[in-house]
Amino acid sequence: MDLVPMFLYCLPLLCLFYNLWKIFDKRRHQNCYILDYECYKPSDDRKLNTRFCGEVIRRNKQLGLHEYKFLLKAIVSSGIGEDTYGPKMVTEGREMSPTLDDAIIEMDDFFIDTIDKLFKKTGISPSEVDVLVVNISMLAAMPSLSSRIIYHYKMREDIKVYNLTGMGCSASPIAINIVQNIFKTQRNVQALVVTSESLSLGWYTGKDRSMILANCLFRSGGCAILLTNKVALKEKAMFKLKCLVRTHHGAKDESYGCCIQKEDDQGFVGIHLGKNLPKAATRAFIENLKEIAPKILPVRELLRFILLTLIRKMTQKSTKTGAASRPVINFKTGVDHFCLHTGGKAVIDAVAQNLNLSEHDIEPARMTLHRFGNTSASSIWYVLAYMQAKKRLKKGDKVFMISFGAGFKCNSCLWEVMRDLDQDGNVWKEFINSYPPKTITNPFLEKYGWIQEEDPDTFCIPDDYVIP
Amino acid sequence: MPQMLPNFSSSVKLKYVKLGYQYLVNHILTLLLIPIMVGISIEILRLGPEEMVNIWRSLDIDLVQILCSSFLIIFICTVYFMSKPRSVYLVDYACYKPPITWRVPFSSFMEHSRLILKDNLKSVDFQMRILERSGLGEETCLPPAIHYIPPTPTMEAAREEAQIVIFSAIDSLMQKTGIKAKDIDILIVNCSLFSPTPSLSAMVVNKYKLRSNIKSYNLSGMGCSAGLISMDLAKDLLQAHPNSYALVVSTEIITPNYYKGSERAMLLPNCLFRMGGAAILLSNKNRDKRRAKYRLVHVVRTHKGSDDKAYKCVYEQEDSQGKVGINLSKDLMVIAAEALKSNITTIGPLVLPASEQLLFLFTLIGRKIFNPKWKPYIPDFKQAFEHFCIHAGGRAVIDELQKNLQLSSEHVEASRMTLHRFGNTSSSSLWYEMSYIEAKGRMKKGDRVWQIAFGSGFKCNSAVWKCNRTIKTPTDGPWQDCIDRYPVHIPEIVKL
Repeated sequence: MDLVPMFLYCLPLLCLFYNLWKIFDKRRHQNCYILDYECYKPSDDRKLNTRFCGEVIRRNKQLGLHEYKFLLKAIVSSGIGEDTYGPKMVTEGREMSPTLDDAIIEMDDFFIDTIDKLFKKTGISPSEVDVLVVNISMLAAMPSLSSRIIYHYKMREDIKVYNLTGMGCSASPIAINIVQNIFKTQRNVQALVVTSESLSLGWYTGKDRSMILANCLFRSGGCAILLTNKVALKEKAMFKLKCLVRTHHGAKDESYGCCIQKEDDQGFVGIHLGKNLPKAATRAFIENLKEIAPKILPVRELLRFILLTLIRKMTQKSTKTGAASRPVINFKTGVDHFCLHTGGKAVIDAVAQNLNLSEHDIEPARMTLHRFGNTSASSIWYVLAYMQAKKRLKKGDKVFMISFGAGFKCNSCLWEVMRDLDQDGNVWKEFINSYPPKTITNPFLEKYGWIQEEDPDTFCIPDDYVIP
Repeated sequence: MPQMLPNFSSSVKLKYVKLGYQYLVNHILTLLLIPIMVGISIEILRLGPEEMVNIWRSLDIDLVQILCSSFLIIFICTVYFMSKPRSVYLVDYACYKPPITWRVPFSSFMEHSRLILKDNLKSVDFQMRILERSGLGEETCLPPAIHYIPPTPTMEAAREEAQIVIFSAIDSLMQKTGIKAKDIDILIVNCSLFSPTPSLSAMVVNKYKLRSNIKSYNLSGMGCSAGLISMDLAKDLLQAHPNSYALVVSTEIITPNYYKGSERAMLLPNCLFRMGGAAILLSNKNRDKRRAKYRLVHVVRTHKGSDDKAYKCVYEQEDSQGKVGINLSKDLMVIAAEALKSNITTIGPLVLPASEQLLFLFTLIGRKIFNPKWKPYIPDFKQAFEHFCIHAGGRAVIDELQKNLQLSSEHVEASRMTLHRFGNTSSSSLWYEMSYIEAKGRMKKGDRVWQIAFGSGFKCNSAVWKCNRTIKTPTDGPWQDCIDRYPVHIPEIVKL
């Protein structure tokens, strides 16, 4: 009879342990790992140097000298270098009348180049991909670009595919968010995230200044990332996702309207960048930091910050001077590397100032802006590739990615480096040794700086101006 | 006469045999359990109550052991229920009803067509023939920008249409469910061919002042089956986020996509696509278990993009004059049937009762081993579902599916009537059809609904819902003023 109560106890205990093990096992399979990623380097015949940009502006009959000056000034002070890439239709001179075919060919070039390389690098075949998320903001074709990829690579029938559009420059973390959520519900999943921007059909052909700016600053680029939650592939993984925070300020009208696609007075469609864009960006940025800081910083840093704030509040109350400097939270205690969205020189400077970052910290972002320009959603991956090429990423390091976008959204995520990374097969490989260059001031500034002083009434193109 | 009778009697016998077989296999567990239960109860009655008490006493279990074991059992049950995947409930949904002033009766449509395509009488003729056979009625609606001659599809007009459709649907939904904007945790908007920057989801966040930590997603380019793709995404998100509300908005904005050229294959969508939109509220909160209308059981997605013909059958391209439009290929029906077959092979095992699955298995084995000439058994999906919502893509699609799945005309009535009253509203048509079934008072508790949608790419997605509570005939909704006129008989060809 002793066996019966023993049996009666063992069975429920076993059940309990089994259930607990199931929960623990589920957690183990929910991690999001990056197996590998590949950034896109377009062919060299698509390079846009400043002189060529000047020519593109000049041949646009709609633009007068004021616009010419304004735009050249913008290009020259943007921090964008001489080797960035543009869409083929610009280099071929057809930017005033882009066709749907141009846009599709632009995307095809990117897919075939980058995704092929990624599959070859990782040794994974396309039929093993279970989830595909594509985000290309400004092109909504039918069938979707995600279907195009499935068609080209003959992927499986039961693939889960999502095509995000319109989500702006901050869309990369959103795509990763979808994958992260799917990883939490299913096991042994491999996901392919493809992020890029289509510039052909979004090219603005009018003369509103706030809208042509977008033409001058955005460049071609893209990235394909392979992610998985398979525990067996943990050893081969490069990064592990620690946390991801999204902030959406669309509820505020000024934030919503500061970067909006609309028609100008003449009916041409373009993206209007408002004057309060920096303010909206800062607000979203600060709120995002407030939410992610407690999740990624060590406790002692948080305590230090809280103590200092309290002390400052108390001293302010008693002395009422308010001259004491605000305590700044030191992100470098929890983060080793910073991947900032290369929205422009002003953006990088502002972020660096807010986070108290050194030149060394923002060098990857600056160099990416110089070499590849603002490639929209994929820019943070180029910054990551730079760090990898410079052999800065060691096991256990934390990488913080932050990007801003239309809406107004600010999304950030923290990755942990899983193993020491070197630069094999990286997009920066061929020219990493020439970075950082001695100077990144625009050569145009020196040669054509005279344009800044010209008087519109007496201006005429000098005789030695050679069309590039 | 005598020859017919034996046939009749044999078919009746077959019908009863089939019924008997179905009852047997589907309820086999109950049938096995009944004799066991009867045996045990007879044994207990035979022993009598004193014997039972003696057996209990001899086990020698004291109070502490009882407490411990009951505590363990409660703990195990809690852990088990916590680790179960969360159910996703559809609290309610609202469909957009366009104002009557925007309707496009056949006469208006043909008049516009003649004025705009005056150099291409053949194309006008083609459009007339399509309209005659389309299955559309006289009350379908187009947005105001398209009513102009020629149409004025500016981005401003497209945004306005988006605002009217989406905001009306969401306002109506909020009123029905009583939910506040601050409660929404997840927002998914799907609109295939219009994707401005910032996205339509950002537009919704801006209008309703949604929270800043909302998880918003904007899907586009995914065609008429995008509504079910959004459901799939919402389901995955609700598994990962406990205690949340997800708002899904499905629509198609017609303004920027009206084809302005004269290529015939690309004029077809102009004749079929109409304004429409739906907003759906999903939840995984326990308190919505009572008031939710439906529970999401399965979502099955099939993507035939790897096949060349399937990929190209619905294709957006420029015609010879550079005007952009959607080209529908002639093999659309064949490809749709193929995609449906793939989808059915996946969903069949999940929803069919055991009797149908066994039959299918037997015929499969028989075909493989014994004789390949045996006819493949098409499972009877009417056993698994009470209602069918087939995407109202066009008359041909509904006919094809009715034939393939062997459905009666009552099963496809919702789809046909939606096509007649609202036209092809793309991803939101499934919700108009659900609304029709509810308006007719046919939705009872426990009913299972199968939503099937096809889309460019070529995708075939289906969702299975189970009705949570008998739905009273709603007094609001897109069908409220015309449900009494339906069903109407739609002739093969309407003479214009």
